[in-house]
Amino acid sequence: MSELQEDTEAAHSSENAVALSEAELAALKLVEEMCSRSGQAMEANVVSAQGEYLTIALVGEDVPATWGRSGQALDALQMLLNAILHRHNPSEVRIMLDADNYRQRRRELLQNYALQIADEVKQRNEECELEPLPAHERRIIHTALADDPAISTYSEGNEPARRVVIAPRQ
Amino acid sequence: MLENLLEFLVKALVDEPDQVNITEVQQDQATTYEVRVAPNDLGKVIGKQGRIANALRTVTKAAAMKHKRKVYVEIIA
Repeated sequence: MSELQEDTEAAHSSENAVALSEAELAALKLVEEMCSRSGQAMEANVVSAQGEYLTIALVGEDVPATWGRSGQALDALQMLLNAILHRHNPSEVRIMLDADNYRQRRRELLQNYALQIADEVKQRNEECELEPLPAHERRIIHTALADDPAISTYSEGNEPARRVVIAPRQ
Repeated sequence: MLENLLEFLVKALVDEPDQVNITEVQQDQATTYEVRVAPNDLGKVIGKQGRIANALRTVTKAAAMKHKRKVYVEIIA
């Protein structure tokens, strides 16, 4: 094994050794149990613990085709796991599931989309309402445009039909 | 196979996992999973505006995709 490989592996294992709180460990355990009981070839890997979000990647042979293709199935599974987690204890932890790097791809897509719509909003000087998005995806839109002095964003409507509005800043 | 994921999720959602019963009904093109739970647990597997039930359907469909089968999930009191 080369030194480089050893270094990368060391970096990886120290990343995985991110100290998790008790609530985060409980969330991880739930996802691990789901994986082992699912009858599918998949495992749970902790990606990050930031604020209330514990991001866990599903990895394994069956994962890309089943959970990485559309966000719908991944979001549904994530919603069920959070419902289970919060059933008994009002845990502050929220599970964010990833599969086949879907979240990263989706983030880039939403950021580009936000910038594109913002340009159009500026040109027309007219606000634009986007399609309904889950809370964490709405946040990507708000954050992407937060530094634009000519644009303001807000959300409208009730879950699950809550949507971001991109408007010219008055 | 698929039933395992569905079974795990349903049992984890209810108060009385022992009363959960899932039967698989095979038709020509499709498989229907009949989910039975204790009457008091019905709301927990349906959810507000059917959101839990719909998520269970979406997840089960995704898991069935590699078997190229159409699946239905029916929740029965």
